[in-house]
Amino acid sequence: MKISFTINNNKVTLDVDPSMRLLDVIRNELHLTGTKEGCGEGECGACTVLVKGEPVNSCLTPIINVADRDVMTIEGLRETKEYRIIADAFADRGGSQCGFCTPGMILVTYALLKKNPHPSEEEIRFALSGNLCRCTGYQAIIDAVKVASEKGIKL
Amino acid sequence: MINHFVPKTLKEALDILSEHDCYIFAGGTDLMVQKHKSSGLLPAFDKDILYVMNLKELDYIKVDSQNNLHIGGISRFCELINSPLVPDIFKTVFLEIASPNIRNTATLVGNIANASPAGDSIVPLNLFNASVVLQSKRGTRTVLVQDFIQGVKKIDREKDELITEVIVPPADLKFYYKKVGSRKAETITKVSLMGGYKVEGGKVKDLRICFGSISTKVVKNHWIEEKYTGISTNELRARIDDIINEYDHEIRPITDQRSTKEYRTVVAKNLLRDFLRQVK
Repeated sequence: MKISFTINNNKVTLDVDPSMRLLDVIRNELHLTGTKEGCGEGECGACTVLVKGEPVNSCLTPIINVADRDVMTIEGLRETKEYRIIADAFADRGGSQCGFCTPGMILVTYALLKKNPHPSEEEIRFALSGNLCRCTGYQAIIDAVKVASEKGIKL
Repeated sequence: MINHFVPKTLKEALDILSEHDCYIFAGGTDLMVQKHKSSGLLPAFDKDILYVMNLKELDYIKVDSQNNLHIGGISRFCELINSPLVPDIFKTVFLEIASPNIRNTATLVGNIANASPAGDSIVPLNLFNASVVLQSKRGTRTVLVQDFIQGVKKIDREKDELITEVIVPPADLKFYYKKVGSRKAETITKVSLMGGYKVEGGKVKDLRICFGSISTKVVKNHWIEEKYTGISTNELRARIDDIINEYDHEIRPITDQRSTKEYRTVVAKNLLRDFLRQVK
């Protein structure tokens, strides 16, 4: 089936099985490997992408459910100045160690700060509650989001 | 080979369902896990699929003149959480389901149709005596959620029917809700309890009790609720042990990877005690 959608501001049309996971389309068809596969069952959030600006797990999303919609991956976010602020904050606070969860963490942080530029610690923890990290113990990530929030008033 | 149907209208969807036995695919957060094989492989669906997320006709949340809440079949949890029309107690429950990412995709109707004994949204729907509306080419029928879910993964749906709406009647009650799980987020319920009550002039005018995850389906026993309605709050508190004992035959949890039946039984009764102590 021919399915069209927007990936990182570029319109694409692919001839794929409608039930194919968005994650597999992104990694194997579009060769954008910034999106990671962790658990493959919606627990870890490593495969997070933004669909119409909202974080979703691309491992649970069939490609047909993003037809005619906007999808953003970490590669798309990297082109924005907001990315720089968030990535610098993660580097500054040690919010990224092995890096596997980081694309998902950064996309969720971006979506959160867009909606709520000055979240409380509780709101940050709540927003990131679907993204698991096995390295940092989370506090460094929470701190990084706070730093990004302070620096990124213009987000 | 299976067929993939992506109807744009409800009529088109019902036409397809009248001729094909399909998986009805909404957000997919349950189906994609159940049918997942391996990274890079297509999910292993063994029959046709009807995708419903493009059915704009089913994308609504509204209230009618009798204050019944009507939730369209493809409404996602994130939309319900953000809607001013949805009662707060539902939001309390929804905010403890899965994670924000999943709530951005998953639908309420999907959670009902999945008919898991641990389906959290089914608990308040039972408490409110909510119904689902099923449509087919043959017509429309409305079934109480409590009757619609017949057991583990068993629902009262014919192959040509689509759940198009959930109807939640108003309830002027005070509420209690506790979900017991291993973590704050992304936790599948070990046991949960929702209580609802109304007290007027020192008397219990309305009493509703729903347990989740302690049987094959949500437990709501109308007979027990009726028996203790109309008494004074003092008498209710004096009879807490009697009420808990009434549920002895209803609390029938299993032991699985998340918990044991012994733990679940004790916690279910403790939650009921905690709730009943608050009825004043």
